[in-house]
Amino acid sequence: MTPAASLSSASSAFGALLVLAVIVPLCGLVPMLLCAPRRVEQVALLLLGLGGLIVGAIAVRVAATGAALDDVIGGWAPPLGMALRADGLSVVMLVMTAVVVVATGLFARTDRAAPTSAMPPAFWMLLMGLWSALNLVFVAQDLFSLYVALELLTFAAVPLVCLDGSRKTLDAALRYLLFALFGSVLYLLATALLYGAYGTLDLPQLAQHVRASGTPEPALVLALALMSVGMAAKAALFPLHLWLPPAHAGAPAAASALLSALVIKAPIYLLVRIWCDLAGPPLAAAGAPLLAIMGAGAVWLCGVMALRQGRLKLLIAYSTAAQIGYLFLMFPLAGIAGAAPWETIAWTGGALQLVSHAFSKAAMFMAAGLIAEALGHDRIADFGGLGRILPVSVFAFGLGGLSLMGLPPSGGFVAKVMLLTAAVQQERWWIAGVILAGGLLAGGYVLRVVVPALFRTGGAVAVAQVSPRRQGVALGLALVAVVLGFVPLQPIGFLAIGRAALIGSAP
Amino acid sequence: MSGASGVLSLLLPAAPALPCLLALLCVAPKVRRWAPAMMALAPVPALLAALLVPQGISPLSAPAPLRITLTLDAPGALLLGTSAVLWMAAGAYAAVYLRDDPARPRFAIWWLLTMGGSFGVFIVADLSSFYLAFALASLSAYGLVAHDDTPEARRAGALYLGLTLFGEALLIAGFVMLAAGSPDGNPLIADAVAGLAVSPWRDAIVALLVAGFGLKMGFVPLHVWMPIAHGVAPVPGSAVLSGIVVKAGVIGLIRFLPMDGMLSAWGAAITTMGIVTAYYGIAIGLTQSHPKRVLAYSTVSQMGVVGAVIGAGLWSGDAAAPVIAAFYAANHILLKGAMFLAVGIAAASGARCLWLVLAVSAVLGLSLAGLPLTGGALAKIAIKGPLGEGMAGSLLALSAAGTTMLMARFVIRLQASADGSSHRFPPLALGAPWLALCGGALVVPFVLFQPVTGASLASAFSAGSLWKGLWPVALGLVATTALAWRGPRLREIPAGDVLLLAERLAPAVSALSEGVGRLDEGLRRWPVAGLLVLALIVAFATALEATR
Repeated sequence: MTPAASLSSASSAFGALLVLAVIVPLCGLVPMLLCAPRRVEQVALLLLGLGGLIVGAIAVRVAATGAALDDVIGGWAPPLGMALRADGLSVVMLVMTAVVVVATGLFARTDRAAPTSAMPPAFWMLLMGLWSALNLVFVAQDLFSLYVALELLTFAAVPLVCLDGSRKTLDAALRYLLFALFGSVLYLLATALLYGAYGTLDLPQLAQHVRASGTPEPALVLALALMSVGMAAKAALFPLHLWLPPAHAGAPAAASALLSALVIKAPIYLLVRIWCDLAGPPLAAAGAPLLAIMGAGAVWLCGVMALRQGRLKLLIAYSTAAQIGYLFLMFPLAGIAGAAPWETIAWTGGALQLVSHAFSKAAMFMAAGLIAEALGHDRIADFGGLGRILPVSVFAFGLGGLSLMGLPPSGGFVAKVMLLTAAVQQERWWIAGVILAGGLLAGGYVLRVVVPALFRTGGAVAVAQVSPRRQGVALGLALVAVVLGFVPLQPIGFLAIGRAALIGSAP
Repeated sequence: MSGASGVLSLLLPAAPALPCLLALLCVAPKVRRWAPAMMALAPVPALLAALLVPQGISPLSAPAPLRITLTLDAPGALLLGTSAVLWMAAGAYAAVYLRDDPARPRFAIWWLLTMGGSFGVFIVADLSSFYLAFALASLSAYGLVAHDDTPEARRAGALYLGLTLFGEALLIAGFVMLAAGSPDGNPLIADAVAGLAVSPWRDAIVALLVAGFGLKMGFVPLHVWMPIAHGVAPVPGSAVLSGIVVKAGVIGLIRFLPMDGMLSAWGAAITTMGIVTAYYGIAIGLTQSHPKRVLAYSTVSQMGVVGAVIGAGLWSGDAAAPVIAAFYAANHILLKGAMFLAVGIAAASGARCLWLVLAVSAVLGLSLAGLPLTGGALAKIAIKGPLGEGMAGSLLALSAAGTTMLMARFVIRLQASADGSSHRFPPLALGAPWLALCGGALVVPFVLFQPVTGASLASAFSAGSLWKGLWPVALGLVATTALAWRGPRLREIPAGDVLLLAERLAPAVSALSEGVGRLDEGLRRWPVAGLLVLALIVAFATALEATR
């Protein structure tokens, strides 16, 4: 039985949920374009609720059946048609995205008493486009759909950077756009190479071909190199992080939260798919050290850069560039001989790091936005006494920081322990050293903010009121990151759902 | 399980949970006002647990996602009970001491969190909860160190935080390596330690743990933060930092080093380190002028003694060493706490009652040095067991002479620090908890001696024991007199001593940071980025090509 046949037979009524998760936010754009600017926000909030329900239903279905959810659009099996699939890892990504997107919506909502909208209508439309694109990245099964998803993501994310239209943010947005396009071109080139070599773009079929042919084709080698560098550029992995700090620091708080928590995770997710599902163990083992070295550079150098920043939002942006470095340390650790990567503790640790970073970083960017709003600046040197003005925001920032520092109880702690355990078990001491040093640097840059805010007197003066609701949203996200610290210190079975079937039928 | 023991076993989780819960409730401003009053009451369940909960019952596990396991053994109970007494006395004292400080509620919150963490380390049985409690106690204590927002306190606080985070990194590395061999992600400490002997990384694990816990206990040269941090904290803060927080390192060594004679080389090394620390603390402490810093160096020295006891147990495989080390540490908790609080009492005393404060402090100091018939003498007798009569035992016996000199130094500096001109009396609310603590510090060892050592109290009063306790103290007193009469004036060594050498590295560190800044600047230029993309593609292709 070919995988295509098994896919179409597995397709069920629930499979339509996957299509809905991608289509519903996009369809919302139509009424949003047509209605009055003031109404856009209400439509968006309605759609956020609806989208959240759809993702919830997908998660419940996959958890209940313990199998991946498949859908073949229009009944046309690949390579002719298009297949969508949500396995355990995809569902985790979908849920993470839904939580952060909905929280961002609640954060950006206009207060009832406010005379003008908090965010321009464009923000809400971009939010919908972004969500649709992210969902597509997490469920698409062929390289072309993934390309479309990545492009949609870029075009939704770039304008978020320059929503305020100032010269500086336009500069940052342009820089981001150019680099993201650079990445896309590399990806497209790789796609073309693979199509030329194997005649299909469907990932499971490609994986079968790759495993069937003994020595890897030159086209495959080149395609993997191009895709890795392209995705690294889009994910701002060191040393290609040049666009990230100005873009993430310049955007409005709600947008920064989305960009740092979610947008850069899409290319990373894709890298995981490419290396774990497509490349096969020998190639993955050859490429993993390079990815890990780039990750180590990110953890160290961007960590030091975060320590050097004088402005809060730049500090958080550099910390994002540093934190994603941990995710690349996962590649050599998860690829141990004799075990499927998704059954290793490194795989679980990497996934957990990705998810808890999303929640804590979104919370921290929101808190930073509120702090900047209340004080009229975000100079860390003048944060003395901030704890008394904005206790909830500082608390949210600190809780998010707990996860970054890898201190218990937090998802970041469990992730760090899992990655460290994997490094120790495989006696890869240099990776253990990178993780530990990264924790120290994170401690340094988080405490550089929290300590003056709590223990210095004077300095900070509030120039504007900040609504308790928005502080509550930031705190809620930070608490989610803390609650993630209660997952057991073992490989999580849910993350392996549906993954073995993907390439398991290969000879 | 009968009803009564069910209620009793609830006391154990309540001990760390209540202070943490109270601290969380203080987020609400209405509750926050009552925070100072909570400081003295929050330790009550811990004290009751230490007294009432039967020791050695099977560990108590929290339901699934919490993965916390608690247990009470003899060393844990000793430290839990005595630290609860100090927390109560110092809490009542702090509420009055900081009466006029607007930041008092904040101090109380960090106080409660430190308390919760410190109770936690004494009773948790599993690896990840131990790390959690240890981190909570260590990091929250920053709020006590840096409470006064002075440049000195900022420097001390930064140093404290930096070394604390460093210590946490050492410990997590050690813990992960310890747990890596076990099937459970979060094993009980006892199970993990049982596998230590066969671990391929045995020596690396022990080195990491000794460094991590030694940092907390102030083993030379990791003691640098202690005199600085304990010197700048408000008086009740110093009392709990020096009395209790450092004991997290003691319980760590006790819990994580197997006393089965398998690690005798490590035992010898730790004993040596302990003895060196014991003498080093005395030597530098004798040059200090501020009474709190004299006490802080005395803590360094005393933790050296505790380390030597644990090392000796490790050396000879003495299973009684943990409880005896805990007994010695418990005695130190009460005495050192009472002496730190005396600094605040002396400052509030006029000439008329100062003599009383000095006299009580002198008795406390002599007890620490092990003068016969005091509680401290019992602690000194107890540690003779693991240490024996060999060289280590003799050297530590002689160190009591040094402790006597250091305590004399403390009383002299205490007198100098007092305001002798007025006729003030310290407020009763400040004096009462202090006196109660002093009483406890002198009496409690007598109650605990027999259950801990198994020897009768009468044996402690035999002529031989009396003489063994007396000669070092007499020697110390003679040396002090001689030093005061004809001795050279000692030049004060700045607190933190060897740290000054480390500060020479500062320019190199900032140059490194500058270098990273320039590198980042370079990477952010377009031509560089373009070249990097090409280079990376080539690098990936080359690496993958090798597999073909």
